[in-house]
Parts: sequence; C-alpha cells; structure tokens
Amino acid sequence: MLKRALAIISLLLIGYWIAQGLAGVPFGQDRMLVAQYYLDHVKEQTGAVNAVTAIVVNYRGFDTLGEVTVLFIASTGVGALLWRRKKQRTAKTEGSIVLTTGTRLLVPFVMLFGAYIFIHGHLTPGGGFPGGATIATAFLLLYMAFTTYEIPHKAFEKTEGAVGMAYVLVGLIGLAIGGYFLYDWIWQDWGFGVDNIGRLLSGGFIPIIYTIIGLKVGTELSGIIDNMLKEEVSK
Amino acid sequence: MNALAAIGEALVLIGTFFYFLSALGLIRMPDVYNRMQTSTKSATLGSLGVMVGVGIWALGTDFGSAAWLTKTVVIAVFLLLTNPISAHALIRAAYKSGIPLWEGSVVDKYREHIEAKAKAPEETPKEGGEE
Repeated sequence: MLKRALAIISLLLIGYWIAQGLAGVPFGQDRMLVAQYYLDHVKEQTGAVNAVTAIVVNYRGFDTLGEVTVLFIASTGVGALLWRRKKQRTAKTEGSIVLTTGTRLLVPFVMLFGAYIFIHGHLTPGGGFPGGATIATAFLLLYMAFTTYEIPHKAFEKTEGAVGMAYVLVGLIGLAIGGYFLYDWIWQDWGFGVDNIGRLLSGGFIPIIYTIIGLKVGTELSGIIDNMLKEEVSK
Repeated sequence: MNALAAIGEALVLIGTFFYFLSALGLIRMPDVYNRMQTSTKSATLGSLGVMVGVGIWALGTDFGSAAWLTKTVVIAVFLLLTNPISAHALIRAAYKSGIPLWEGSVVDKYREHIEAKAKAPEETPKEGGEE
C-alpha cells in the first residue's frame, strides 16, 4: 500500500514536471527552423513526395542504417539467447479449418500489401519498416494457423545478410561517386525521374533502399518469431 | 453530385449507429459468446457502412475522386473477410479454455460432439485440445 502510494505520488510529480516543461512550448505556431528547410527543398533535392521518408533515408540516412543494425542485433541476440541443439515446434492444437483456410487465402494479400507499402515509401505513408513488419505478420499468421509450419531458414538468413550488405553497398557506391556515404547518386547524378515526381519511378534511391529495408525487416522479424515459437526437444 | 454526398452521409450514419449498437451489446450481453456475437456482427456491418459511405461521400464533394472509393472498398472487403475469421478464432479459443456458457443456455451440441468423439475410440487418449 505504501509502496503503491509512493509510486503514484512520484509519478504524479514527474508528470507535473514534464507538463511544466512542455507548457512553454508553443503549439500550432510556426517555429520550424530545420524542418522548414526540409519542407521547402524535399522535392528538388530528393525527388520524394513523402517528406518523412526523404528525411529518414536521404537527409539522415545514418539513423536508418543504425536502426537496421539494431534490428539485426536484436534478431541475432534472440537467436543466441534461445539457442538449443535440437529445436522443434511443439504446438499441439491444430487451428480450425476456418482459420487455416482463411490464412491460406489471406497470406498472399498481406504479403502483397507489405510489398506495396515498402515500394511506395517515397509516395505514401509507410516505408520499409512498416512494410517489413506487415510481411512478418503474414509469416506470423502462418505460424499461428499451422502447427508444423516453419520458414525456410537457410534462404531467410541468406536474404537477411544479402540485403543488409546491399544497403551498405548502395551507400558505398554513393561514397565512390559523390564523395560521402549514402550519397543519393540515382537522383543527384543521374537525375532519374526528374520529370516524374509523384509517380512510382522517382524518388532517387528511396524505393531501392526501402525495398532492401523491407526485405530485411520482414525476414528478421520472421526469424525472431520462429526462434521464440520453438522449444527444445529431447531425443 | 449532391445525391452521392447524401447517400454517403446516410451510409456513414447507419454505420455509426451499428457501431453504437455493437458497443451497447458489449455492455448488455450476459456471457462471452453473446458479447462476441453482437459486437462482431454489428461492428463489421458498421465498418462496411462507414467505409463505403465515406468513399461515396467523397465522390460527391469537389475534391473527391474515384481513388477514395477504390481504397475504401478494398479496405471494406479486407475487413469483411478477416473479421469473421478473427471472431471465430476468439470464440473457439474461449470455448477451448473452458469459459462457461451463460447459465440460461439450454443446449451445448459441441460438448456432446467432443464427448461422443472421445468415447467412440477407446484407445485414443482424451485431450482437451482436440477437434
């Protein structure tokens, strides 16, 4: 009781403190310094209509590379923590026929939608991370509906590594052509899709990077699901 | 033009009414199965009404285009296909984990079916998670 009361009081104090700090922030006023620059120049500098993905991939590409690394480390860490010599799925309850049939019908559409999200990262909200998570959802659906389903491990791990390297490779090509890492050579040097802004074939290397990230996130989260759903079996 | 907007507004109104009924059923009904029954059906229907209604409504306004209707119809079809499956899985999981029916229920054919099936072949071990 005392513990709970103390926790509530301290939380209230912290909340009040944060609210006091936020009270000085003007809301709804034009106080953008860097953001105004992004909004003014995003189209001619990156070719993307979606300013968020342009910032995430182009202006601040290092952050995205770091995020991808974090995900990779998370996947590897889960794999290392849950490592066993012999692991199998030991689920007992088979899904009902409605569930399995529905999953069979839905999975292609979920994957298609995930691919749609990460291919259209420079045009619509979303990008590589939501698209990849959607694809991983399709695999989670398969895992939940079928007791014996397993992802093709070898292919998934190879895809994960290959697309991770492809991201760095795109950055290194930028380093070779433009002089700095993650330089958008497709847009800045080739001018690919200059008269095509707002359509699918534009946006510099954002669609390429996001396809890479989408595949990587999709395979990584599927791998984490796979690791967590398996149990050790004794022979 | 305005007829389309009027139809869309009417559909959205119907949809929100069914949303309200769904929330009401969630409070009013006595057990899990009845609650799922009322809430799933009317929430699905309400969503369909709202989404298709928004699409048609957008057609009637001057900024609207067929893209709105296309997107809303795609989402509506997706929801129409997935919502019953999720409701089925939830109810089935609830039954399998032993949540009792409302005390006023008179018949439970599924339990009879499971018991008959468990009795018929004597060798097979009785297990909760079986079909």
